[in-house]
Amino acid sequence: MSKFKKQNKKGAPGVNTSSLPDIVFMLLFFFMVATTTKESDPTVKVTQPEGVKAMDMTPYKQRSEIDFVYLGEPRNPARRSQFKFGYALFLDNVAQPNPGELYNTNTISSWKMDKFTDKQGRLTVGIEDVITCIKADKGAPSGIIFDIRDELQEIDALTVAYAVKDNGNL
Amino acid sequence: MAKREIPEINAGSMADIAFLLLIFFLVTTTMDRDKAYKRSIPKKIEVVNEPVDVEQRNIMAIRANSKDELMVRDEIMTNPDEISERILEWFRYNEQSNDLSSNFPLYSQITMDEIRAQVVNAEKELEDAENTPDIAEDFLTFKEAQLLEWEKKERALKLYGKSVLREIHQKAHIRIEVQVETGYELFAKIQSEIEEAIFELRDEKAKSIFNEGYGTIITRLAADGEKEDKEKFELLKILYPDRIIEVKPKN
Repeated sequence: MSKFKKQNKKGAPGVNTSSLPDIVFMLLFFFMVATTTKESDPTVKVTQPEGVKAMDMTPYKQRSEIDFVYLGEPRNPARRSQFKFGYALFLDNVAQPNPGELYNTNTISSWKMDKFTDKQGRLTVGIEDVITCIKADKGAPSGIIFDIRDELQEIDALTVAYAVKDNGNL
Repeated sequence: MAKREIPEINAGSMADIAFLLLIFFLVTTTMDRDKAYKRSIPKKIEVVNEPVDVEQRNIMAIRANSKDELMVRDEIMTNPDEISERILEWFRYNEQSNDLSSNFPLYSQITMDEIRAQVVNAEKELEDAENTPDIAEDFLTFKEAQLLEWEKKERALKLYGKSVLREIHQKAHIRIEVQVETGYELFAKIQSEIEEAIFELRDEKAKSIFNEGYGTIITRLAADGEKEDKEKFELLKILYPDRIIEVKPKN
């Protein structure tokens, strides 16, 4: 006479995992959307110098109020001799991308002007506030930076930013 | 004909596939942010005037030559990490009281009443200029800027809560002079040191007035641009201005 019936041997009920793919897909989509892919793969080698207390450029990127200029040695060693001091420019988002294209400083002003007229409708600021961010290699001669500044001054693009690698927080 | 039941597709491996994709994105995503020092280029001027004389004490000159050797205020320096300390000294030396015999920039004092008088004066001048026929556009914008400047100072002093506003000399500036072949690494280091010094000055002041760090204020300002933070930033900027002149190297 047992008061308690012996329970049928059933084992633990399986957890319903049918919603797992949904959860994973949601995460996946989040990452796919949140990831910003590099705008262009520069054909110049840039090792950035380190610095502290630099400003985060993300808000400007989101409002596309920033254009990037890379300054470094061409990846193709044969092309180094074509440039002053062996350092060439690589401009982001050129209208007709030409693989392996490199530039001298005198192409800066027309590139900047083209980019500005392209996105003028979306911007709330004038050309003087659209940042030109220079990502230069450690060894690049500073003289080239000033050549770039001169070109930008010609077209009244008066804001520059010098990129560094900031290992600090903030 | 017997109706055959369609077998269900086993979706158990769907999660695995999704996980694989997820992990791929997790691994390839780079979260590094673009960090940079923002500077402005002076506007191009058609007519070049005779350069104005600036007293030596008002110039914080940092020079670097083609061999990456440093000179700060005519003194050779071997360790670039010391630049920020020299900048701090340059700002702080006369901050409390002016020492005329020193070689550091002097501070001027202005009271709230004087600022208010200047605001009224600037308003009147702007009005007069607007009523003058055929006035140059540049002159008007200049007067407008002047009025804005005084109004900014009025707000700043109100926020500061002191009776006088002590300001560093109007022409005091940090000057970077490099040569064509100075490496970008050193150039960036100089910029970094300047930023570090100005950050420290403003941070210390922000903590004593607002009980919060300068970093917190500027991050919040960049995120939601509140008026209150903007005024705090303006005050700190008036107290420790970042006037930087980058001199174009001669060939």
